[in-house]
Parts: sequence; structure tokens; C-alpha cells
Amino acid sequence: MKAAKIRSGDRFSPHQQHNWDWRAASNFIAGGTGGGLLAFAAFASLWGTDVRALLVAGMALIGIGLTCVWFEIGKPWRALNVYRHLATSWMTREAAVAPFVFGSGVLALATGQSLFVLLTGIFGACFVYAQARILAADKGIPAWRHPRCMPLVAATGFAEGASLLAVAAPFVIPQVAGQIAVATAALVLLLLRVLLWRNYLRSLRSDGAPEGSLRALSAIDGQFLKYGNLLPAILLLVGVIGAPLASPALILAGLIAVASGWWFKYTLVRRAAYTQGFAIPHLPVRGRGPAGPAVKPGWGGA
Amino acid sequence: MSSTTNPQSVRKVPTYCYNCVAGPDFMNVKVVDGVATEIEPNFAAEDIHPARGRVCVKAYGLVQKTYNPHRVLQPMKRTNPKKGRKEDPGFVPISWDEALDLVSAKLTSVRAKGLVDDSGLPRVAATFGHGGTPGMYMGSLPAFLAAWGPIDYSFGSGQGVKCVHSEHLYGEFWHRGFTVAADTPLARYVISIGSNVEASGGPCAVTRHADARVRGYKRVQVEPHLSVTGACSAEWVPIRPKTDPAFMFALIHVLVCEQGLDKLDVAFLRDRSSSPYLVGPDGLYLRDAESGKPLLWDERSGRAVPFDTEGAVPAVAGHFRVEGAISIDADDARQQFDVAEGITAYTKLVEHMAKYTPEWAESICDVPAATIRRIANEYLENASIGETIEIDGQTLPLRPVAVTLGKSVNNGWGAFECCWARTLLATLVGALENPGGTLGTTVRLNRPHDNRLLSVKAGEDGFMAQYFNPTDKEHWVAKPTGRNIHRTLVPIVGNTAWSQALGPTQLAWMFQREVPSDWNMPLPTLPDVWFIYRTNPAISFWDTRTLVEEIAKFPFTVSFAYTLDETNWMADLLLPEATDLESLQMIKVGGTKFVEQFWEHRGVVLRQPAVEAQGDTRDFTWISTQLAKRTGLLEAYNNALNRGAGGGAPLKADGYDYSLDASKEHGVEEIWDAVCRASSASLSEGREVHDLEWFKEHGFYTVPMSKTEWYLSPTLEKQGLRYEMPYQERLLRIGRELGNRLHEHKMHWWDEQLSEYAALPEWHDVPGRWTQQIANAGGKPEDFPLWLLATKSMQYHTGGNASIALMREVAQNVRGHTGVIINAKTAKSLGISDGDRIEVRSHIGATYGDAVLAQGVRPDTLVILGQFDHWATPVAKDFGMPSLNTIAPMSMELTDATGSGSDIVRVAVRKVERKEAV
Amino acid sequence: MTRYVMAIDLRRCVGCQTCTAACKNANATPPGVQWRRVLDLETGEFPDVRRSFVPVACMHCDEPPCEEVCPTKATTKRPDGLVAIDYDTCIGCANCVMACPYEARSIVHDVKFAYGDKPIKSEEVRFDPARIAVSMKCTFCIDRIDLAAKTGQVPGRDPDVTPACVNSCISGAMAFGDLDDPDSKVSRLLAETQHFRMHEELGTGPGVYYIWDKK
Repeated sequence: MKAAKIRSGDRFSPHQQHNWDWRAASNFIAGGTGGGLLAFAAFASLWGTDVRALLVAGMALIGIGLTCVWFEIGKPWRALNVYRHLATSWMTREAAVAPFVFGSGVLALATGQSLFVLLTGIFGACFVYAQARILAADKGIPAWRHPRCMPLVAATGFAEGASLLAVAAPFVIPQVAGQIAVATAALVLLLLRVLLWRNYLRSLRSDGAPEGSLRALSAIDGQFLKYGNLLPAILLLVGVIGAPLASPALILAGLIAVASGWWFKYTLVRRAAYTQGFAIPHLPVRGRGPAGPAVKPGWGGA
Repeated sequence: MSSTTNPQSVRKVPTYCYNCVAGPDFMNVKVVDGVATEIEPNFAAEDIHPARGRVCVKAYGLVQKTYNPHRVLQPMKRTNPKKGRKEDPGFVPISWDEALDLVSAKLTSVRAKGLVDDSGLPRVAATFGHGGTPGMYMGSLPAFLAAWGPIDYSFGSGQGVKCVHSEHLYGEFWHRGFTVAADTPLARYVISIGSNVEASGGPCAVTRHADARVRGYKRVQVEPHLSVTGACSAEWVPIRPKTDPAFMFALIHVLVCEQGLDKLDVAFLRDRSSSPYLVGPDGLYLRDAESGKPLLWDERSGRAVPFDTEGAVPAVAGHFRVEGAISIDADDARQQFDVAEGITAYTKLVEHMAKYTPEWAESICDVPAATIRRIANEYLENASIGETIEIDGQTLPLRPVAVTLGKSVNNGWGAFECCWARTLLATLVGALENPGGTLGTTVRLNRPHDNRLLSVKAGEDGFMAQYFNPTDKEHWVAKPTGRNIHRTLVPIVGNTAWSQALGPTQLAWMFQREVPSDWNMPLPTLPDVWFIYRTNPAISFWDTRTLVEEIAKFPFTVSFAYTLDETNWMADLLLPEATDLESLQMIKVGGTKFVEQFWEHRGVVLRQPAVEAQGDTRDFTWISTQLAKRTGLLEAYNNALNRGAGGGAPLKADGYDYSLDASKEHGVEEIWDAVCRASSASLSEGREVHDLEWFKEHGFYTVPMSKTEWYLSPTLEKQGLRYEMPYQERLLRIGRELGNRLHEHKMHWWDEQLSEYAALPEWHDVPGRWTQQIANAGGKPEDFPLWLLATKSMQYHTGGNASIALMREVAQNVRGHTGVIINAKTAKSLGISDGDRIEVRSHIGATYGDAVLAQGVRPDTLVILGQFDHWATPVAKDFGMPSLNTIAPMSMELTDATGSGSDIVRVAVRKVERKEAV
Repeated sequence: MTRYVMAIDLRRCVGCQTCTAACKNANATPPGVQWRRVLDLETGEFPDVRRSFVPVACMHCDEPPCEEVCPTKATTKRPDGLVAIDYDTCIGCANCVMACPYEARSIVHDVKFAYGDKPIKSEEVRFDPARIAVSMKCTFCIDRIDLAAKTGQVPGRDPDVTPACVNSCISGAMAFGDLDDPDSKVSRLLAETQHFRMHEELGTGPGVYYIWDKK
């Protein structure tokens, strides 16, 4: 609760959350990408790709994210208490997945066993999923709890993972067919992300949401579509059809797709994270006369 | 739960809060290991206190008030002889001995010179804050003041302009109502005109109105902005500022011209009002030639008879032919009428009000005629004329309708008309001082203060006795005895203990600078010594930048200080008292008191040290005793205490004697122990005597009182008296007499005020006076297109708590506490957004604050809560809050006949850069 | 069973913040932290405007989203309906802050006092370092409720075991008590009035009822 300048409406209208800053956002940004990358690395390993570097990168991303969170929480030396609520808390579950990610990842790197590689990928995917569920469970932030938010957050994690694989493909997958497969997978995931994004935004508007959330998300809509998805998609197509400069196209496409995913997640976790605010279904009767109409200040759409 | 240590001791100390006039209220102080930690309600008082033992939000700041690190904790003396806002006073700590020596030396030299100076004005002046409440914290100082002799209370700190001044004066005149309230527990319909009772009425009013809302009463709030009270009302009527008289005249028009006498309370008008009195062609009562008594038309005998003729049946309405009557004008000028047409006062009223239709009022008030008509008719309908109620075995009329007035409606030009109209609206339906209706609460100009019914005595013309300042040639006070000239200029304010503080207090300040050119009285002087306590006129009066310069001229100012503030910045001596939670005092509670304190008990309550006095602060009773001793007034001081000047009861009366030895110095506990014993003995008529120790444990002592004491009309009925309504013959006459006196002394500077003395008020362009004043001051009225109003805040209202951090924090939750309330559409047209820094400028200066955009305010009106713009008070000086007081002029033109002004000013507004806003 | 709830009569509330101040007194919350407060809510357009006052705090939900997301079990739902926080377990992750749709929770990372860095006496004796950097909120004055179990007093009836805000309310807008007891003040009040709960559509089952009209 920062004592920011108070305006008349701030006391009852939704306001931007102040408790999770860039550090928390970084966990969703880096952790999601890392988890997605691990999943796709595991996938790629099925075709014999050497994914060790990818595993390291994926784990590093998750590690960075968790470190950022560790710096954000109020009582870092009690951090292990996070494991106490496996029954319902997705934050516990996210934290619980992490040792498995790192454990299997280290074993995979150490032994080269594909089982561990696959397990690392599965745990990475679980990590992405758990993160998406953390946001979905936060009922206080309507933009997060919306049912179409969770698939989108998961999808962007995997899209970013696939995109990072695309970036790595020219270096770790020598075969053109493999590169085309990666480009295709990334393309499909970008398409999925776009569909889920549009779907999410449309539903948010039609179901109603805090004006601040709608404003923040709408503000990135056009550029997110054009530069964050369409542009990398075109570049990936270049990769898919195997045109000259396919490799640079893949690298560039991947980087742009990851960056746009991060941009979206930062927006979601910070700028669009408006609280529920307050709503009154019946303004009270004051002595005599009718009750007042329902009010829900600061909400738009619907 | 929040204490990290295991407390060794936890105590709950019963005491009271009386920081605003809506008190006192009961509370407990929770004390953990000797440290006050919490304020709580005192539920032991749940059954006797109208607010069930609860205190308002302000009281919760008292813990911080006690431990505020900015407190003055030892006596300080000024070292910089230069005084001014830019001059650092250079206060240095001194011992109590030195401080008391300084002040008593000064006082002794004053006594040696004489208590009044060559101008006939007291050499010692004192200014205390809001509504007599400082008296509830000053221990036995009143006994010292009584022992001293003449003291000038002329220098106001907002009195007359921040209170409901005209209500005080006319309320007591018409129905012994120093403040006036609805009988909320029974009311069904209340027209609340600018009265912000939910913010300033204290827990008792809030409790009563909340109960009434749940019961289903309807309150219509008539006010330019949607105040807290408007918010809690069934209907909001956003009236144009200062046009309330027109609105009320139209209500009266609907009742008397459209509905007619048959629908009104004819019996009440006939028997309890002067409606039947016959008015002659000169506008004065037709009187019996022999006795001089006003005549009325006796329907039984078919002739005019003196008002008190046994068995007469007075005609309320009509024109009658009267033979051989006289009239008595100012200065006893008598006129004989062989034959005259006598018109009843009621019929005079009806004819007078014919022009004031709702359609006429609509254009003035910006309120639709249909709304005005509907409200008038709803009022009449809800009056349920004929209904009765039994209270404590007595059958009384039940008239559950009331009209209440608020600050700025109730003072300054237009206030006389509003008070008259309010009292008349109650009279017409028999709701004046009857259950459910419009009630006075207490008396201060009349006596005794704790039972207004006993103040009713038969006076002239069948009305209650009044104690006006004389206006006849022989007795008029041509040489003022105080600097606000109350006895000379304001007959109705009288001359009892409270009268002076209710005089035209801004005149005291204005005349220090300049007197009118035809001023033919001794010139006002500065007092040799000025005492101030719980007051900060440099913030709480008007034109505060100029006022500060006046304050700086006072030669010797002694401040009983809590923190350094804008007024005691100019003081010579700061004497820090042990404050709310640290000192000992007993006061009376119960009965009927200000605002909405209507009890069914009366008694006394103790304020006691819940914690040790901080630093070297001292109990006020100790300070007072020391002052008395060092000025040689100990005996007179003790005698004053014995008479009951310290509060509670006289220390000696029939059946008990706890009087103090007048020749000796007595300790603080000894003094209050005597008051405790005397008060309990007095209240219980000797059945119970409780000492200080008992009170420290139990907190209060009360005895039951009948609710019938809330209502004045039964007392008038018992004494066969009438309310002086609707016709103001007496006021007309004394106004003329006052004019004669002033003109005899070749003074015409009060002539405009004399126009207020009218038998039946006429509408005059009240808001136009403000634009005219700008033009007369050389400004262009069109440059100041908006109204600026000030409104009260429960969190700050008279709490002296601007430096309490808790209050600042919680007040911010209430709209307006962050700046200036402005209509959102108006703001948009001026390019102002929510939170923008704005300048609000009048023709005398500017004040700065943040814009608070709202829909619940008229487009032509800005509103500022409370009074801020501090520059010395710790904490508050960093608020960046604006104040109306900074830019409201003190002006003779804007002063009404009672000497009050209205808290309103014409302004312009513009957005400014943040750095400009200083 | 016992289910402690609060009923707030919006017809009565005048937005005075006495409850806000009483809560700050009783719970010694640092500056800027209000476990409860009263919203001042203006709606409509001039001249058809309403202004309502709505006290808000922790709703002590039946299905507290804060409890569900809490990774440490610091937040628990008690059998008597209270949602409690164990300050010694909480890690201050703020997930519960995000989960609460009532803006009831806050975390203070820095030690602050009313008049700056140094506590005044009343703050000094009550300063609780355990509450720094962890989540906190209205407890329904849990110590008082727990005291009731020892003394046999009845929360909502006996002031010593009733939340400070309820005790302080000058308009009598607040009632507290056991919803499962049909004779409790809250049960009776709710039986005879029309009321709603905030954001009921979210399925949290809030334990604070807002009365807006008679039946």
C-alpha cells in the first residue's frame, strides 16, 4: 500500500495493483518462457537434437524468474514455507515443480538420458501451466481471473518456448526439415496465441472489466498483433518455405515472438492488473423513497 | 494483540470528549502500562447518553494528541520583539516560576492602571475557541476570570461567521433556542436547509437521524452541494447560494396563500402566537389607550379587546374597525387613532406573502416551482395537525415536521429572514416547540443555561421577557464597553456572560485598522494583555493574511498552547496545559444542550488524567490557582469557585456545604473533590454524595429527567404566553430607536444594517450584496463568476486537531479533504482535471488546492471543507490545503444587523502549475 | 456451528470514518494502512446525484480466495468463520493480496510511524515487528472473539468481545454476531431487511452483509 496521490475515484474504482512489481512480472516473463523452452527442447530431443544448451537456457530462465520473486517477497528467509499448501495453492505447486525441473534437468545434462530430458520438458510444461493457474486463481484481478486468460498465458509461454527453439534451430538443428518443423510449430503456436489473445480481449470487453485493464490491454492490441505476431509469423513462413535467409528469418522471428510475449505478460501482470474495485447492487434507501440503481464504478465493456 | 510485550497493567479510564459543541460524549481511555493506547466508547453510559456512550472520530485522535512530538511541553517566552509572519518568534524554554512571574507582573501592573482604559475598554482581553468548548478543558480558569473583573471577549476567532449566529440570537428571542433542531426521534419530515448535521451534529445527532431514517422519516436537503447530510437525505435540492430566504418565503406562500388558514393549526396560531394582534395603519400594534396592551378582535364580543382579556375568542384573520386605539412607536412616541382599520398580524402576513409565489422563487433559487410547492405541501401533510402524543403522562400535540438551518444560511445577510421563516413555518402548523417539531435546544443569552424552560418569564405584550441591550435615550450605551460594540449596536444579543462573544466580532478586528469616517465614539484601543486558548483566529477567521498583521500588534499575548500555531506565533508567552487525557475537570451533562443533545438524564461527568501530563505541562486548575495567587486574587477566585464557577454545582447550598476556605490556596484534587461532592449532593438532592475517588472509578453521575422538558410550548401555555410570531413589531420599534440613537450621535455607518429591523421581512437581493461589495471595492464582479462555500468536516470540525496524523489519514477517505470540490462539467470547461492544482481567487487574494471533481455540487459553486492553509502549525502546514478564510473579506457591507457575516465569497478559478501553489 | 458475520446498514452509515479510526486505534496499524475504511461513493450526474457510504474490510469469506492461493497456509479459515493470518508463517508473497477481490489486504515493507521514523509512546508499546513485510488485514478483532470463548461473553452483544469498529459506530450501522444463531442480533436484523453481499457473483461467500432497505 503505497501512499500515492489520492484522487476522488481511487477509493472505490479499480486501481492498478502495486504489490507485484517488475520482479514478480519477471517470474511470469522468464519462467514462462523457460518452461516453454524446456517443453519444446524435450520435444526436439525426440528427433535427436542436442538440447543441452536449451535445457541450460530454460532452467536459467526459470531460475532468474524465481530469484526475482525471492527478492520481492517480504520474508525471503522463510521462502521454504511456500511448500506448505500443495492442496490448493498453485504458487505452492509452481514452487513444487521447480525442484523437479532442476533435478531432472541436471540429471539430463549429467547423464544425457532422454528420459530425464523428457521429464524436464514435462516439468517445464507443468511450470508454465502452474504459472497460468496462479494468475487465474487471483480473484482480485478481473483481467487475470477471466477464464480466457489462463489458456492465453499458457499459450504464450509455449509460443515463447517454441520461438526460442526457432532462434536456436539454425545452431542446433542442422537439417532443413527439422528447422521447417520448428518454424511450423512456432507458427502454429503463434497462431494459437493470437487466437487466444483476440478471444480473451473480446470476451473481456463483452463480459466487462475494469476500464484500466481494458485500456492497458487495448493499448497493446494493434502492435502486439502486427509486430508481435504477424511479423514473426511472416518471418517464420519464410523459414517454413525454406527460402534463402531462412535461418536469419527464424532467429529474428523467434526473438520478436519472445519479446512480444514478454511485453504482453508485463502488461498483463503490471499495467493491466487492475483490482476488482467495489460495486453496489442497491444504493441504500435514505429514509424514504426508492433505493438507488446498481453501480459499478470504474468498469467498462459489458 | 498488537502489543509485543506482556502488559503489566491495563486500565480503562472513563472520561469525556467535548472538543466540539455537539458534545459532551462519553469515552474510555485504554491505558497500557501507563501509556494511553486506545479510545473506546464508554458502554457504562449506554442507557443514559443519547449516542449510547460513543464518541465521534475526532476523539480517536486524542491518543496522538497526547503524544504528538510537536507539542509545546514547557513554558516558552518570546525572544524576538518583532512580531510578524516572517519573524521567527525565537521562543525559548523557561520555568513555570518565571512564566507565571512574567504574566502576573503584567497583570498586576494592569490592575494598578485600572481595569478599563481611557476609551472605557477592558485592558485584558481573552479569546477562546468554538462554542464554549474551551471552558470544558480550562479547569478552574473561569473562576480566575470571574475574580479578575471586566474582560473583553470581543476578538472573535470565527464567532458570528462560522457558527449559526442569527439562529443564536433570534432563536433565543423567539423560542429560547440558542441552537435549533428537529425533534428527530419523532419527526416524519424535515426540511434541512444547509444544515450539515451528519458532519457537525456529533454522535447524538448522527444516532438520532440514523434511527429516524430506518424508521422512514423523510429529510429534504436544500443546499448548493451534496454534503454528507445531503447524501444521507431522501432528496437533494441544489439551491443557488444565499437564496434560501426566497425558497422559504415561497414555502410560506404555499401554506398561507394557497392552502389557507383552515389547513393550518388555527388553535396554535390563535393561542400561542401573536397572529390575532391587530396591526394599525402605521404598521404598529393597535393598543389599548389606557393600558398600552396590544388589541385583538374578540369574536365573542365583536370588538377589539386587550390581548389578555379573560374569555376572549381571538380572530386569527381579518380586517376590523377599531375605535380609540393608540400605537406606540420608538422612543415611546404614541399616536392616537379615533378610528383605525386593524388587520390581524396573520392577515398582514398573508397579504405580505402573496407576491412570494413558488414561480417567483424559481428564478431566484434555481429550484423548480413545482418542487417548492410539493415540498411545502408534503410538509403540511406530514404535520398531521390534530394528532397528539402522550409523553410521561402528558398529552401533547404531535407535529412531526421541522425545518432546520445551517451555517451560511443562518448568518450574514438573509439569515434574519431565514430564521424568521423557519420559526414561522413551525408556528403555522403548531410544530414550534411541540413533539416532533422544531425545537430550541438550550439557552446561552438567557439563564439558567441548564434548563431553558426556567428562562421563560412573562414579559411585555403577552410575550416572554427579553433582556435586550437598551436603545432608549437614557440607557443606550453610547460609549462601548467592549471592542465589538455589542451593547451599543446589537440590542437583541443582550448583555449576559455569552453576549459579548456573540457580538459583531469581526468589527473588533476591522475597527483596529480603520473606523468609519463618522465614528463618534472613543477610538478602539488594543488590550494590554490578550489571553488565547484553544483558538487560532489567524486560521479560523476571515481575511487571515490581514488579521495576522493585527494580531502581531497586540502588545502582550499569552497563549495556553498545545503546539505552535499561526496565532501564538505572535504570542509573548506560551503556557502549555496538560490537555484532554492528562487533566482534571468536572462538567455538567444532560438535559438539553447544543445541536441535538437531548437527554433523558442530567448530571455531571469527570475528565481525569488517564496518563501523566507530558513534559512540564500543567493542569489548568493549577495554572489558574497560581495566577489568582500571584495577582492577589486568591480570595475572589476561591469565592468564585464556591459560587460554582468551576462547573458542576455551587459548593454550598441548602443541605450541603463543601465550600473551600477562601483565604487558602487549594490543590487541584482538593478543588475538584469539592465539586464532585457538591454536584452529586445537588443532583441527588442530598441523597448521594460522591467524592473524587468515586468519580474517578465511575466517571459520571446522573439523575433522570422527563422528556417533556425538551418542549417549550407547554411552559408557554402554562404561563399564558405567546410566541412573538409572525409580526415583528418589537424589532421594528427597537430598530428605529437604535437608528435614532446613532443618528443623534451623527453616525450613519450602521444604517444599512438598520434596514433589517422589519415587521415582516421583504426579499432583498441577498446574493447581489456580494457582487456589489466587489464593485464597491474597485473590482469587477464579472471577474469572479463562481461562489465559494466552506463546509464542515466531522474529522476536523473545531477539533483543534490539524496536527493529528490519524485525522489527516482517515479524513482523506471523505470527499473534499484533498482540496477544492468543483463541479465536473465546470472543471472540464476550464480545462481542469481531477487532482490538478488550482488557484481560487477572490478580489482580496488567492488560495490554492487540488481540484476534487464531483457531480454533487452546483456548476456555479466551489466548496472547501474545514479551514486550513496553515503556515506554522506542525503537520498541517504541509497539507497544501486551501481555505476560504484566506480570501473572504471582512466587510461592513457584508455584515448584517446582528453583526454576523456569511461564510461565502465570489471567486474565479484557474489551473496552475504545482510550483505556483504556495 | 458458529459463523461470525457482520451486518452493515447502509441506510445508517454517514461515512464519518469513526470505525476507520477506531480500528487504527485498536489494531495499531501503521500510517496508510487501513484494515477497514468507509468508501465515499458518488454516482449519477448533476443534479441527479447520489452519494453513498460503504464500509469495507476483510469479508471473512466462506470460500476465501486468499486462503486458497496462500502457499504457506499462513491464511486459514477458522471453524467460526474468521479468516486468520499467522504472521510467523507468512512469507509476504502478496498472492493473497491479488486474490482478494475486496482490497482487504496489505503488506508494509518499511517501518513507519505517525510522525516519521520515531514511534510516539503509544506506538512504541504496541509496535509489532512480526507484522512487517507480511500480509495483514482485518481480523474481526480476533483476540476479542477468542476472549469470548474463555469468558463466556457473546460477541456482538458484549462490547469486550465485539470488534472495535462495531463498538465505535455512532450511527449504529454495524452489527456483529453468529449467523447460525437465529436469535443473534445479526440474524434478527438480516431476517427483517433486504441485503446483499459484495461481489457475490464471485462465489466467495462473504461474511459481511450490506442492508439497503427494509423488507
